[in-house]
Amino acid sequence: MRSVTFTLNGQPYQREVPDYKTLLHYLREDLGYTGTKEGCGAGECGACTVILNGKAVNSCLVLAAEIDGAAIETVEGEARADGSLTILQDAFDKHHAVQCGYCTGGMLMSAKDLLRRNAQPNRQEVIEGIEGNFCRCTGYEQIIEAILDAADSGAADEIARRDKEDTHA
Amino acid sequence: MLHDFSYHRPGTLPEALDFLAHHGSESAVLSGGTDLFVVIRAGIVTPAHVIDLKGIEELSRLTWDEKEGLSVGACVTVNDLIESPVVMKHFPVLPVAGHELATFQLRNRATMVGNLVTASPCGDMGSPLLTLGGEVVLVSARGERRMPVAQFITGVKRTLIEPDEIVQRVVIPPVWADAAGGYHKLKRIKGHDLGVVSVAMIRKAETLRCAISSAAPTPILLPDISLPTSLEAVQQKAQEMISPIDDVRCTKEYRAFMVGIFIKRLMQELGAVV
Repeated sequence: MRSVTFTLNGQPYQREVPDYKTLLHYLREDLGYTGTKEGCGAGECGACTVILNGKAVNSCLVLAAEIDGAAIETVEGEARADGSLTILQDAFDKHHAVQCGYCTGGMLMSAKDLLRRNAQPNRQEVIEGIEGNFCRCTGYEQIIEAILDAADSGAADEIARRDKEDTHA
Repeated sequence: MLHDFSYHRPGTLPEALDFLAHHGSESAVLSGGTDLFVVIRAGIVTPAHVIDLKGIEELSRLTWDEKEGLSVGACVTVNDLIESPVVMKHFPVLPVAGHELATFQLRNRATMVGNLVTASPCGDMGSPLLTLGGEVVLVSARGERRMPVAQFITGVKRTLIEPDEIVQRVVIPPVWADAAGGYHKLKRIKGHDLGVVSVAMIRKAETLRCAISSAAPTPILLPDISLPTSLEAVQQKAQEMISPIDDVRCTKEYRAFMVGIFIKRLMQELGAVV
């Protein structure tokens, strides 16, 4: 076991973690954050995508022991406590970008990361932005449209605004 | 579930090397973890210790010097490499090939050095580094040794690394700096996938250098090609040197055929065919 300090969706944590547990399993089994899913467990499907220190990563290939001092974002950080959705989530809803929902948590993290790097991505940039996230239901079309619509509706500004609020919190 | 190993995060290189001097044979070295945790999860390797190099600041350095060339530390990620203006300026074949390596989020963790140490025949960094004459710097408590990438990779997932050593960095001497370059990779799908076969090629003045992955146990470097030459001569030389196999992804005939096609496309891109 080792002691790690980190923030998860802006909330500070200090915890003892086993040396050999992946961040994915730690989030799901120990912290109860089950919005992050396990698909392949080998860095191919992207269902486990979280944002670690501002970078999208496959949490199945990161150890919980590696997160000392890190800032982690998961899909649970999106909707507000009152249930109101972000612009990005709203667009996924509006465009039927969610069917079974298994890829959605990771897909939203990749989309958020993309919009941070590129506020107005074109279609090709959206496709490349979610290249690491498999969806076996939608055929991707609705997801691409949702992200493009979210970008047009000011999702990047909203993400930047909330980042600022979190830093000041 | 991963098996019960102990995680270590040394803050200095001597500390890491001292640990490996004593426990190297039962340890695995961690940088990006994108290959390591796949084989640990599958039970293919069961190290007692995992030594994370990311706490060693100097291993994240990416530097360019006109005399030494480009130095890429063990913890420099593939996305660091792709986003580096100095790499794009002097060694454009690296970001082009790096872009073909897995997915964006994987490249945020995967390292160039790790890709070499894994030494998969379909690794995306081996063949571009062969064209650029890349060298591997190995360090251990016993000292340092340096060798060409071509010598370092000896077979399918085999290298000359000893259990007490780490690859500290890869150095690309300036001799092929500013060469134009390209990388073509055949995949089963349009999205990301392991390479079925791939070809890297660079051109500096009237010299072409070409290397091929997934067509032999190790990436293969062709002898330097002086221009002008015929497309057929280069294709012929490549066919003599490769030894592709049939596997779940492709037949050997298709691999050999696509090597010829990629050589043609790359020579056209680099203005090397009339």
